[in-house]
Parts: sequence; C-alpha cells; structure tokens
Amino acid sequence: MRLEGVGKWFGSLQVLDGIDIDVKTQEILTVLGPSGCGKTTLLRIVNGLILCERGEVSFKGEVVDGPRPEMAMVFQNFGLFPWKRLDQNIAYALRIQGREKSEIDRLVSHYTELVGLGGFEANYPAQLSGGMQQRAGLARALAAQPDVLLMDEPFGALDALTRETLQEELLRINEVEPKAMIFITHSIDEALLLGDRVLVMTPRPGRIRFQFDTGFGRGRDLEEIRGGKRFQALRHYLWEAMRNPEAEPEPIPELVLE
Amino acid sequence: MATDAPAATGISTDEKAFWERIKEPAVYVRLISLVVVLGGWELMGQTGNIDPVTFSYPSAISVAFWDLIASGKMTAAAYESSQILVAGLLIAIPLGIVLGILMGRFRTFEYAVDTYVFALYATPVVALAFPIAMVLGVDFVGKTTIVVFFAIMPIIVNVYHGVRNVDLSLLEVTRSFCSTESQRWRDLIFPSVVPYLVAGLGLACGRALVGMVVAEFLMSISGLGALSQDYIADLELDKGLAPVVLLMIVGIALTKVVNICETKFSSWRVRQES
Ligand SMILES: Nc1ncnc2c1ncn2[C@@H]1O[C@H](COP(=O)(O)OP(=O)(O)OP(=O)(O)O)[C@@H](O)[C@H]1O
Ligand SMILES: [Mg+2]
Repeated sequence: MRLEGVGKWFGSLQVLDGIDIDVKTQEILTVLGPSGCGKTTLLRIVNGLILCERGEVSFKGEVVDGPRPEMAMVFQNFGLFPWKRLDQNIAYALRIQGREKSEIDRLVSHYTELVGLGGFEANYPAQLSGGMQQRAGLARALAAQPDVLLMDEPFGALDALTRETLQEELLRINEVEPKAMIFITHSIDEALLLGDRVLVMTPRPGRIRFQFDTGFGRGRDLEEIRGGKRFQALRHYLWEAMRNPEAEPEPIPELVLE
Repeated sequence: MATDAPAATGISTDEKAFWERIKEPAVYVRLISLVVVLGGWELMGQTGNIDPVTFSYPSAISVAFWDLIASGKMTAAAYESSQILVAGLLIAIPLGIVLGILMGRFRTFEYAVDTYVFALYATPVVALAFPIAMVLGVDFVGKTTIVVFFAIMPIIVNVYHGVRNVDLSLLEVTRSFCSTESQRWRDLIFPSVVPYLVAGLGLACGRALVGMVVAEFLMSISGLGALSQDYIADLELDKGLAPVVLLMIVGIALTKVVNICETKFSSWRVRQES
C-alpha cells in the first residue's frame, strides 16, 4: 500500500497536503493527530471512497480508484444499519461477498464471541451501548477477513478495560491472520502499543509531521512493553511533541536507537 | 395468584385490565370529553334547542344509521363507494412509490417531473374535478382518477424525501464493502424509505376518502356521497348524517391499519418509554 504526494481539497479548503506513506504487508501503522487534521479523510481516500485531487494511492501496484473487497473499514461513527440485528450487521460484509450461508454463520459467531458480544446477536443497534456498537463495527470488518484493515478510532468509545482486552485481541488476530492495518487513534499509549510504526500529523492542511518505527517487534507482550524504558521514553517524546505543535520535532531520543 | 384471583372475585383478567386502562389519563380524559360533548349535543337535541329540520343530534343519527343498514341502502351505497376508493388506492400506492423512488434516485427524472409534482401537490385537487370529468367522463374512470390524484401526492412526496434522506454515512458503508446497486437497495434504501412511506400512506388514505366523496358529489352522483346528499336535500338530516358517520369510522379504521403496519415495520426503533 503506497500513498504518493496525496493532496485533498474540499472546495477551497485544503485538508491534506503531500502525504507520502508506505505501508508494508502485515505492517501496523498507527496515526496520531489533533482533531480535524484529516485522518478520517485520509482513510476514506485509502479506501477509495473519495478521490484525491493530487497524488496517487496504490495497492499491490494497482491504482486505487474505488473501494475493493481486500480492504475493510471500521468507521468512526460505527456505521451499523439500525434495522439490522447485531448478527445481521456483522454478517453484512460476508453477505455482500456472497459467501456460503454456513460459512457466514460460522464466521459471524466466531467474531461475535471474539469482540465479546456473544448473547446480543438478536439486538438492534439502538439496544446496544456505544462501546458495543463500536465492537460490532470491528467484528464486521474482521469477519470480512481483509488484507488491509482501516480503523478509524476503533476503540475510542470503549472503557479502559475493554480497550486493553481488544488491543491484545487485535494483536493476537494479527499473529494468526496477519494483515496490514492503518489504525487511527487519539491515544499516545495505544499508538505505541499497537504500532510497528507511528505517524504524527499536523492540521490545516494535514501533513505528516514525523514518523518512526516503534521497534517493539512481533509477539509483543503489552504489559512488558508498558513497563519498559523504551516505551516511557517514546511516550514522553510524543507527549512533548503533541503539546508543542508548532515546535520543530526534536530528534528521537537516543535510547530508542539502541 | 393471577389464575385464582378472577375466580374468587368473579372478575376476569380481561375485565381487570379494562378497569386498569380506564385509570390512565389518556383514556379517562377522552371518555369524559366524549360524554360531555356528545351528551351536551344530545341534550340540546332532546330539549328542543335544535331544530330537527336544520340539524340533528346523536341518538337520532344512530337510529337513522341502523335504519339505513337494515334497509340495505347503506350497504349498497358503501359497496359502490368502496369500488372507486379501492381502485384509486390500488393505483395510487404502487404508482406513487415508483414515481417517488425514480424522482429520489435519478436526477434527470427528478428535473423532468418535479415542476408538475410540486405544482400539483400545492394545488387543491378539488379544482381538478372538472377538467378530469371533461377528459375522462363522470363515471367510474373519472371518479377513480380523482381518488388517485388525491391519494398519490403524499405518497410520491414522502417516498421521494425518504430516498433523498438516506443516511450518507451508511451509503458510504455500503460503498466501502463493495455492495452492488441491488444489494444497496435491499440493505439501505428500501428500509430507510419505509417510515416515510408509512407516513405517506396514512395521509393518502385520508385524502383518498376525501377524493371519493368529492367525486361522488361533483361527478355523477353515487355511493355514500349521493346517499348523504339526497337525504339532506330532503331535509332528513339524521339520515343525511349517517353516511358521514360511516365515512368517519372507515377513516379511523384505515388510520389504525396504517399505524399497525408502522409498528410492524419499525420494531428496530427501540422506544424508550419512561
Ligand atoms: N465532506 C466534507 N466536506 C467538506 N469538508 C470536510 C468534509 N469532510 C471533512 N471535512 C473537513 O476536513 C477536515 C478534516 O476532517 P476529518 O474528518 O478528516 O478529520 P479527523 O482528523 O478525522 O478528525 P477527528 O479526529 O475529529 O475525527 C475538517 O476540517 C473537516 O471540516
Ligand atoms: Mg475522524
């Protein structure tokens, strides 16, 4: 997945400018940036939902000019159909793909359990809490078994405990069925814990401020990382950088480069 | 306990539920209001404050109602009226849905017809009775056309708005998952149109009744409209008002049917009642 010099305008408002991103197969890229800096817009361009005026997005060497089934999006506002029950919502992508009934049933119940919504299959979205709806949106995207997951603040509405469980689940799923992910978040901790690479954006227009590899490696143990020096140093570094949006980013601390 | 209690007190559970419901303000306030208004009207009739030649009162109308039913006149008239009502609705409903959907979905079609639709929507349809009679005659076809014109407008306009107001973020969800156009109709557009359609149907039924009576008054006289008009012309007001009561009952019944459809199709709308 590659973005080259992507620029996007909404009328006369420039939202994105000169975005170059390269996401390798199975890489998790986390994106941090202030509200309104164009993160959702970026994902919509990657998904092919809207086109960019400048630059180009390509996937496996082909130009992205529309949505494709190898990518699945977890929407910031959940995007569930209010008239479909939870299981029908989770089955949605599979039904669109025309999978076998038995396969759909199996995948739906698997991913429903996985996100901890077992027992709520017959509920309509209006009968679920915000966090539960968010997990349903996640299950729908996972069930589609895409090569690329585009996640727009997928854990934003969750309590800390569920959030941690799902972070671990997501990493575990990624071990079993590796896929590339672009993961947008407002949480510095989450960006570091999940990301192979962290990308920080600036607003108006949205540009890439800096990006770096976290270097925590695969099969990571979140508890261990959290307690580690490296995590603390990077976390402090990101805090400082986010707090002074105008300042030139300082070089990444030596510690990380060891 | 629930099974024993009725036997012990001699009151069935149904009856109990009935008395429970009466205690709700929605029920008893309405009941009191009905008793006061109808009772007052009746009293004025009984005490001679109403001249039976120029006006009537509830008990006289009820008697006339049963007389007309017993003589078979009401049933015959109702049968005649129902033909144009049913035919009109059977044409207006599918046609209205199709036109509304086409207008909502295809820009070219919308621009081609919206001038007429919104002009007609703003026009009092009664004014169309005479031109229609000129072109289509004053019998079944002409009358049914009047009913169609009355009923179809709210259906077209509501369905059109339903298609137009499809949630754009859900539209994006269907695009993101590579839905085909026909799947998109099934998953998104039809379900979002249903509440608008049901509201439109409610309006359409009421207007179809008006259209039916208008047609029967203004074109060749027939059905319940004629029955009412004939008696009123003969100054038998109680009999003239009896068909009006029947129309009222039919109107209420149609609205109820639409309401029931509405609850059936919107079970996903969870109403949080406090
Ligand atoms: N369809 C649109 N038309 C016009 N302007 C838009 C549109 N979508 C987004 N914008 C503008 O683009 C900018 C970026 O929006 P975007 O939704 O991408 O931000 P975001 O980074 O996802 O913010 P948040 O963190 O709050 O979700 C905002 O200033 C917004 O007003
Ligand atoms: Mg956003």
